[in-house]
Amino acid sequence: MEKKLGIYICSGCEIGKSIDMAALEKVGSVSGEHLCRTHAKLCLAESVQNIQEDIKKEHLEGVIVAACSPRFFTKEFSFNQLTERVNLRELVAWSHEAKDADTNMLAEDSLRMGLAKMKSILSPTPFIPDQSSSEILVIGGGISGITASIEAAKAGYKTILVEKNKLGGWSNHLHKQLPMHPPFDYLEKPLISQKIHDVKTQEKVEIHENSSIKEISGQPGEFRVVIKQEEKETKRKVASVVLATGWNPYDAEKLTEFGYGQNPNIITNLDFEKMAKAGPVLKPSDGEVPKQVLFIQCAGSRDKNHLPYCSNYCCGTSLKQALYIRESSKETSVFIVYKDIRTAGKLEAFYEKVQHDDQVFMTKGEIGQLNLQGDRILVDVHQTLLGDNIQLEVDLIVLAIGMTPQNTEDLNLKYRLGKGLPELKYEFADSHFICFPYESRRTGIYAAGSVRSPMDISSSMEDACGAMLKAIQCAEATKRGEAVHPRSGDLSHPEIYFSRCTDCKRCTEECPFGTYDENEKGTPIPNPSRCRRCGICMGACPERVISFEDFNVNAISEMIKAVEIPDEFEEKPRILAFVCENDAYPAFDMAGQKRLKYSPHVRIIPVRCLGSVNNIWISDALSKGFDGILQIGCKPGDDYQCHFINGSDLTEKRGENIQEVLEKMMLENERIKTVFVEINEYDKIPRIIDDYVEEIELIGPNPFKDM
Amino acid sequence: MQLITMMPETRNEKRETRSKILLPDIQFIKRVKKESNSDLKACMQCGNCTVVCNLSPEENPFPRKEMIWAAWGQKGMLIADPDIWLCHQCGDCTSNCPRGVKPGNVLASLRSQTIEYYANPSFLVKWLKKWWMLPVTVTIPMIIIHLILIIAGTLTITPDPVNYSAMFPHALLNSSFSILALLMIVGIVFSIRSFWKGMVKGYRLSGFEPESQSSVKERSPIKSGMTEKATSIIKTIWQVKKELLAHKKFKDCETNKFRHLAHAMVFYGFVALIVVTLFAILSAILGNYPMPFLNPVKIVGNLAGLSIVVGLLILIFQRLIKKDAVSSSNFFDWSFLISILLLVITGFFTEYARLVNDHLGYYWYLFHLIIMWYVILYLPYTKFGHMVYRFVAMVFVIQTGRK
Repeated sequence: MEKKLGIYICSGCEIGKSIDMAALEKVGSVSGEHLCRTHAKLCLAESVQNIQEDIKKEHLEGVIVAACSPRFFTKEFSFNQLTERVNLRELVAWSHEAKDADTNMLAEDSLRMGLAKMKSILSPTPFIPDQSSSEILVIGGGISGITASIEAAKAGYKTILVEKNKLGGWSNHLHKQLPMHPPFDYLEKPLISQKIHDVKTQEKVEIHENSSIKEISGQPGEFRVVIKQEEKETKRKVASVVLATGWNPYDAEKLTEFGYGQNPNIITNLDFEKMAKAGPVLKPSDGEVPKQVLFIQCAGSRDKNHLPYCSNYCCGTSLKQALYIRESSKETSVFIVYKDIRTAGKLEAFYEKVQHDDQVFMTKGEIGQLNLQGDRILVDVHQTLLGDNIQLEVDLIVLAIGMTPQNTEDLNLKYRLGKGLPELKYEFADSHFICFPYESRRTGIYAAGSVRSPMDISSSMEDACGAMLKAIQCAEATKRGEAVHPRSGDLSHPEIYFSRCTDCKRCTEECPFGTYDENEKGTPIPNPSRCRRCGICMGACPERVISFEDFNVNAISEMIKAVEIPDEFEEKPRILAFVCENDAYPAFDMAGQKRLKYSPHVRIIPVRCLGSVNNIWISDALSKGFDGILQIGCKPGDDYQCHFINGSDLTEKRGENIQEVLEKMMLENERIKTVFVEINEYDKIPRIIDDYVEEIELIGPNPFKDM
Repeated sequence: MQLITMMPETRNEKRETRSKILLPDIQFIKRVKKESNSDLKACMQCGNCTVVCNLSPEENPFPRKEMIWAAWGQKGMLIADPDIWLCHQCGDCTSNCPRGVKPGNVLASLRSQTIEYYANPSFLVKWLKKWWMLPVTVTIPMIIIHLILIIAGTLTITPDPVNYSAMFPHALLNSSFSILALLMIVGIVFSIRSFWKGMVKGYRLSGFEPESQSSVKERSPIKSGMTEKATSIIKTIWQVKKELLAHKKFKDCETNKFRHLAHAMVFYGFVALIVVTLFAILSAILGNYPMPFLNPVKIVGNLAGLSIVVGLLILIFQRLIKKDAVSSSNFFDWSFLISILLLVITGFFTEYARLVNDHLGYYWYLFHLIIMWYVILYLPYTKFGHMVYRFVAMVFVIQTGRK
């Protein structure tokens, strides 16, 4: 049975001046069942009030607001009934000629599409795990893990802290610690012992030392964790996980160019720190006090042959260690050869302090030949700030080596897609460090500290707080059945119509977040709270059995079919554009705000991700008579901007299948085009649209138009 | 001219000599820090100083490289570095340094240490740099002048009306001052010879090449005949002299426009006084001395003296007001400024006393002569020496093809 809808058309913000409102109202009133009203300013409190009264009085089952972009006035236009927004302002009135026949047709089609979609969607019913937990698992008892646990306990959440050895991690080896308090120019006592004491006295932290994770199964809200301590196994249920397993030093054995292993007096910064903690630093060869010490920065870092990235901590550490020497032996000189000194933020004050020491000498430079004969080591340094090459005679060399992330397979996830977290370019467990820090590609598992990105103690502590906040958010959102980022608050979730599922495994393979496990037969087993609601599985499914209540294959097909295609092609081609809601759609909004004009022959359907576009929509559109199809989404690749990681990649992959569809229909390849835009590239929108319309006009009309 | 042939012959030779183990001179660092009142070590080599300097050449500019050499205690490289003499200490670098390490002051300290290093005999500089050695350094010219007058027996001849030539006869004055000038020139020659040698050695050792080797060869007259060499260096000297006389470089300094004016007043005042002195000697020989007050030569002389006094007062005033922007002043700077000021002021007093026939004038005259000896005798060892060192360094720089 058809729902009774309330259709509200706003004529404010130039919409009324641009579009023939009477004609539009006629489209809305096509079915006498519905209520259709126009209003000069729909966002006013009293107009919103009127809609709410209508919902009650007229028993409306759905509301269509045909006004501005759904990105504005979200609070005003959220009713307790199913609501659909039709964007008449940014996408029609502001971006096309006023009082033009083509603009009117666009506005009418937009409303028709909204109406058609409304027919096939429902208010989503959230998935709420039966016995959701509020506890949070923290893996790794270093500075990050301990901080995360303490912060969670302070916020009232119980944590289970699992550490494979004893609490403290690398911090246990510290002699002194870089400044974390004003004036940021003196070394501090390591705070790890205090932190360990704090965490041990927290009631809300359950500590498992010398333990490992045997298994994690389930989904956010109800992760089932098995903790193993020797033979003893403990089972716990947690809502979310903070992964703070930290880092490993880069293997110094690989640094043969710096003579590691060839002379006992060439050591790493970690060796040095341990020596300093045990007593004064002495030469390992003879136990004498070193007279000239050289620190080689970026030893194996920012180097194509070793670690291509900067590990953040080594500059500060070497400056700190230079002070250890200077404090213990007044006649010892320290040389620091760096690629760049990177002491971000307040640490600059400490850098300046070390600089002031008369016997600390720093220069940019490239380490050349090392002459290891005898007790003294001769080091050639090239391209120094002192003018080309210099030669230093030293008796102790400290290599500042970088960080590599701990393997995330320690998580032992019982996921179809693997035990660990998928890694980025440099093997760090991050999803997108700019847009979504702490997020990994497994929902409910958040990375903190050096396992996420190389960092020092103060950054790790900050990171721990951030990741723990995300974990708490996840626990709370899951209890309400809401998605976590980026579709925060979305109550929909995918449902599978199993009787038609062919066990093709496309959804299980393509879901970037490992939502689906599978049974022996290969039938997908959904874990809805692992889902981020991107719809990539829906786009992947060849049988079209996956759907969301408010976003499904049928609804979009209905929208496509609702567009009125003019019979004559001349000057009236029709292009369908699937526009990603995350970046491309806002870019269209901005183009409208800037009053950039583009062809009115394009009909836009917003999608959750380009990955959610199902091939059936493409054949539907071509059969319907659309002359061309544009897919506009976020940039794929190593520096991807896709909010669901590989939606855009998948679109390119699926392009091959689409070409098959085109071949079957005997159509030109150019009828489907994929374009990637960034959110700030609104100025490119008119060119993208107009160029494509021109291209299609050259190819000519879709031969299926009249059929 | 032999000195020129000490220029490097080949690139390889340079490379070999350069790979020497680098050892920082910690005492030197401490000293530069103290003398320049600068946190020298905090220099982060950003190069702002070099960028804002209008006098710095494009190739291997200063003072960035001097800053790290100083921070690394590379005394050897710095005392052989002619670039520190290209600086006119306007303070542009110091006022634009983001770390506040005062490159201008550092260069000033380096210049003072260079003078000290090459001065021959070097103990004189050490004495002249210490305020508590002042009694000794002042007593030397005092004794010499008294000895001359006592031996001549004219010390007590103070006739009325005032006639200074009675106390210090012209013949004695001219001959003693000729000897004095000779002493000064010997001092300069000895110091400058080792300075030039040092620069040549530094040029060969330094990693910085003023220009590509080929163009240096083209420019420096290594392979050409003796006469060509001679004309080349004479040409250079002429060029530098012109530049210095015109105070062209000084004008480029931005932070401190007054400094240019003040220095010009002092400098041209001195030039005028030298000319006037020559006239005075001439007229003394011709028996027409002292000249009347309104004699054009006398007018020029008095105006020149006035110009020096005003210029010096501006310089002194600036050092007192803008302590850090201009430079940090130590005894080396102050003793130079004040001795010149006293020299001119006592000169005026002496003249005034003669005109009003005040017998105190004899004391002023004696005082004036003592300061005169102090200034001239010690010229190569005080800050006054900067004139000679700068001149030589500029000649060297042009000879090595530096732009």
